[in-house]
Amino acid sequence: MLTLQTWIVQALLVFLTTDSIGGLLDPCGYINPESPVVQLGSNFTAVCVLKEKCMDYFHVNANYIFWKTNHVTVPKEQYTVINRTASSVTFTNIPLLNSQLTCNIRTFGQIDQNVYGIRIISGLPPEKPKNLNCIVNEGKKMMCQWAPGRETYLETNFTLKSEWATEKFDDCEAKRDTPTSCTVDYSPVYFVNIEVWVEAENALGKVTSDHINFDPIDKVKPNAPHNLSVNNSEELSSILKLTWINSNIKNFITLKYNIQYRTKDASTWSQIPPEDTASTRSSFTVQDLKPFTEYVFRIRCMKADGKGFWSDWSEEASGITYEDRPSKAPSFWYKIEPSRTHGHRSVQLIWKTLPPFEANGKILDYEVTVTRWKSRLQNYTVNGTELTVNLTNDRYIATLTARNLVGKSDASVLTIPACDFQATHPVMDLKAFPKDNVLWVEWTATNGSVNKYILEWCVLSDTLPCIPDWQQEDGTVHRTYLRAPSKGPTVRTKKVGKNEAVLEWDQLPVDVQNGFIRNYTIFYRTIIGNETAVNVDSSHTEYTLSSLTSDTLYMVRMAAYTDEGGKDGPEFTFTTPKFAQGEIEAIVVPVCLAFLLTTLLGVLFCFNKRDLIKKHIWPNVPDPSKSHIAQWSPHTPPRHNFNSKDQMYSDGNFTDVSVVEIEANDKKTFPEDMKSLDLFKREKISTEGHSSGIGGSSCMSSSRPSISSSDENESAQNTSSTVQYSTVVHSGYRHQVPSVQVFSRSESTQPLLDSEERPEDLQLVDNVEGSDGVLPRQQYFKQNCGQRETSPVISHFERSKQGSSINQEDFVRLKQQQISDHISQSSGSGQMKMFQEVSTAASFGPGTEEQVERFETVGMEAAIDEGMPKSYLPQTVRQGGYMPQ
Amino acid sequence: MDLRAGDSWGMLACLCTVLWHLPAVPALNRTGDPGPGPSIQKTYDLTRYLEHQLRSLAGTYLNYLGPPFNEPDFNPPRLGAETLPRATVNLEVWRSLNDKLRLTQNYEAYSHLLCYLRGLNRQAATAELRRSLAHFCTSLQGLLGSIAGVMAALGYPLPQPLPGTEPTWSPDPAHSDFLQKMDDFWLLKELQTWLWRSAKDFNRLKKKMQPPAAAVTLHLEAHGF
Repeated sequence: MLTLQTWIVQALLVFLTTDSIGGLLDPCGYINPESPVVQLGSNFTAVCVLKEKCMDYFHVNANYIFWKTNHVTVPKEQYTVINRTASSVTFTNIPLLNSQLTCNIRTFGQIDQNVYGIRIISGLPPEKPKNLNCIVNEGKKMMCQWAPGRETYLETNFTLKSEWATEKFDDCEAKRDTPTSCTVDYSPVYFVNIEVWVEAENALGKVTSDHINFDPIDKVKPNAPHNLSVNNSEELSSILKLTWINSNIKNFITLKYNIQYRTKDASTWSQIPPEDTASTRSSFTVQDLKPFTEYVFRIRCMKADGKGFWSDWSEEASGITYEDRPSKAPSFWYKIEPSRTHGHRSVQLIWKTLPPFEANGKILDYEVTVTRWKSRLQNYTVNGTELTVNLTNDRYIATLTARNLVGKSDASVLTIPACDFQATHPVMDLKAFPKDNVLWVEWTATNGSVNKYILEWCVLSDTLPCIPDWQQEDGTVHRTYLRAPSKGPTVRTKKVGKNEAVLEWDQLPVDVQNGFIRNYTIFYRTIIGNETAVNVDSSHTEYTLSSLTSDTLYMVRMAAYTDEGGKDGPEFTFTTPKFAQGEIEAIVVPVCLAFLLTTLLGVLFCFNKRDLIKKHIWPNVPDPSKSHIAQWSPHTPPRHNFNSKDQMYSDGNFTDVSVVEIEANDKKTFPEDMKSLDLFKREKISTEGHSSGIGGSSCMSSSRPSISSSDENESAQNTSSTVQYSTVVHSGYRHQVPSVQVFSRSESTQPLLDSEERPEDLQLVDNVEGSDGVLPRQQYFKQNCGQRETSPVISHFERSKQGSSINQEDFVRLKQQQISDHISQSSGSGQMKMFQEVSTAASFGPGTEEQVERFETVGMEAAIDEGMPKSYLPQTVRQGGYMPQ
Repeated sequence: MDLRAGDSWGMLACLCTVLWHLPAVPALNRTGDPGPGPSIQKTYDLTRYLEHQLRSLAGTYLNYLGPPFNEPDFNPPRLGAETLPRATVNLEVWRSLNDKLRLTQNYEAYSHLLCYLRGLNRQAATAELRRSLAHFCTSLQGLLGSIAGVMAALGYPLPQPLPGTEPTWSPDPAHSDFLQKMDDFWLLKELQTWLWRSAKDFNRLKKKMQPPAAAVTLHLEAHGF
């Protein structure tokens, strides 16, 4: 690479030298050293030696040498002239660079010439690679990595070398993109020590790292254990048995393991003590787990002596511990409903479901017993969480047990006092206060022993009825907080209609439920209106709000309630649409139909009664066509109009050399007109030529304004004058400046049409005399633009209008095209040259118009001078044509 | 009080010096030269590793040879392959072998087997098989080096290959293809047997070397002198 660069520099210099001196193939001298790599911060000296031949040729010697780095002259102080032919330059403390150094000579006191060039590259020798370490991924090849040390700024190769005491292995060349690691080409042999080291080498030196000697088995990273499975035990609800398959490496080394586990919802892992898994095994029983809980496990392994690397973690596997009997009795309470019949009362026994960690399984049902004092007990088995029993006014004892697959919980015992029972020691000083986002309740313990406390509360709201909720506390506490969900569900709309909205929400995560969600309450209100609450069963995740007002902003929020209370979720707003789907269509379509029908009827009515309406609305105006007093000439007025338009046109707009050309044709069609107006014609040649000369925006700038204006006046009164106009201009250019023809796009297409219709005409047109070629064109106009068949002038104006829309670019292109057509037919060399001139001019864009104008002017003047009224075209040719000015 | 303090400081310094120099006492310095124990252990591990490796390799290779060689109950009489070193030996003879002879026999056997194995490698058809064979050869080379290391550690000279008896794998052109395959089969079988035997040899050596570590050191020193 380096050599190549230098070579290119040299080649370039040789080329330059050759070029400047002329035929000298050898460089005039050379620089030593040829391709230096210099250490950063060191000194560098280069010597340029001139060749005798060159010195003689240019009369120079070493004193004439000067040096340049990257095209900047090096100060003279750094030069040393060694002898007549050699000069050296010295750089001290070379910075980081990659620069070009050239040796130059100044010949003849003023001409600087390159003699030779080299490229100086600076950098640092490699540093000793450190921290060499290797890893053997089981079943793969050994990979070693190291710290390469400081940046060298040079291409540095790292080679990993390895050998046994008895054998050398192939070198491992680090790849350019990963210079700090290399994967050897051979599979490592375990239990045989290998010696490994790294060599770093660049243009400035070579260093070797410390050698490391190891047994590849001590650097192994085993494959992770696989097929991890988890099984529970019916006998013990607190254990799970893990089994897995070890990697093959266990056949010749001992492994140790890390086993981690967590409950399904937890995020942190617990680890089994490593000493329990310090040797090769393929199963393990994890103990002290909670019953009926899902656990997730993962495992990894490494060589038992701790040498090497831990494998990756295995895939996670999960299992659920077996159920255990409920560990706690459910909270138990009752409500007495007002009695309907005397001597009996309806008692609603209510209880709370056990949280999963206490239920220890799926609760199948609850067993309730109710015992009247010294009487037979009544048994009930209930699936729900309440039971209503009819009791007498006596004292009763109720018990409750929850049952799952494994067994029954302890019994909760509740005494339902007799009707006339009076509590002797009521709870005192009941206080409630919010703290840490929960509502705390505090009370003073009563004297005497208390089995348990029951807290009852309800939400105080204007809109909601007081639905009492309750919570059971042990007899030892005297302060608690009301347990309610810590977060409400997030509600959103699924579909919004004009009068209803479908709301949906997700189930609350277990972490924030703080109990069992009993029901949801949806609160919705308009921005000004009252809030409405709807209770929804906890099994739903969707609800349709109906009887909403259309085009109204609604705010909706939702609360989740457990037995202990509720919590609002975030508020959500939505707007009901003004129209229901399809409503707009339902309105618009009939309206449109009705309108259509009305219009139709109106028209029909008008049509039927038109005579009547006519009489009523319009005055009776006599029909001029039926008049016999005056005869109207239908053609004149429009012609007049057009003429005036034409005038405006040629005055104001410019593009219209096309106009000119058509006119010429017109003129030929009416030779008698031309003859009769010979004088006018001639005058116009000059005036119109000027005025219509490309770029001349106003005919007032012409040299003979008076004549032209008088002409115009006249032309306004008859058609032939218009014809004249065009004739003059056209004939002026005809053969000298075929470019004129080009001005109109339609013109250029004309010959084609001509040729289709009359092939012989094409020849004529192209050849010379205008009068011959005109006819077909005229016809063309008649056919294609001929609303005004009687008046060619009008058609000409039509053309000119079209022409005006042609943009400059088209214009030029057409012009060139035409020119090239004509060149092939031109006889005079001068003419030819002229065409070329025009075409060149045309290609320059803005300048074109001026030039053409000038040219036209000259052409016309020449024509006038010659005084040849009928045929202007050949004149210039006879004169020898126009030479470019 | 002062005097007493100075005394105790001096004693402490003396004690420290003694402790400092203790590791330098050769008899106690076991970290410097661990003796042949670890290398014997390593050789033992290596034979087991190789045996494991050979098991899968032999399976592949016998499949490559095709039936009947890959049939589990194929057990031909050892007809040819007379040049192969025999691993089987009378138990009494084996027990009575001294360390030097034991190691020498191992060394010689593997040198020969390695040579034959290299011939096998050249004949193998598939690239995958060649790769496995090449790796096994390298491992066997490692085993040889390992045995040589143990022998050197114990002060035994390496057996010199007798000139002219250098075994070469020269397939007899008279051999039929079947007999050729039979040779290959026996080579692998013999290798397997040798690896089993070596595992026993090194296990025996290991047990012998283990108990008195200090004695090993002394033993070595004696050799040094």
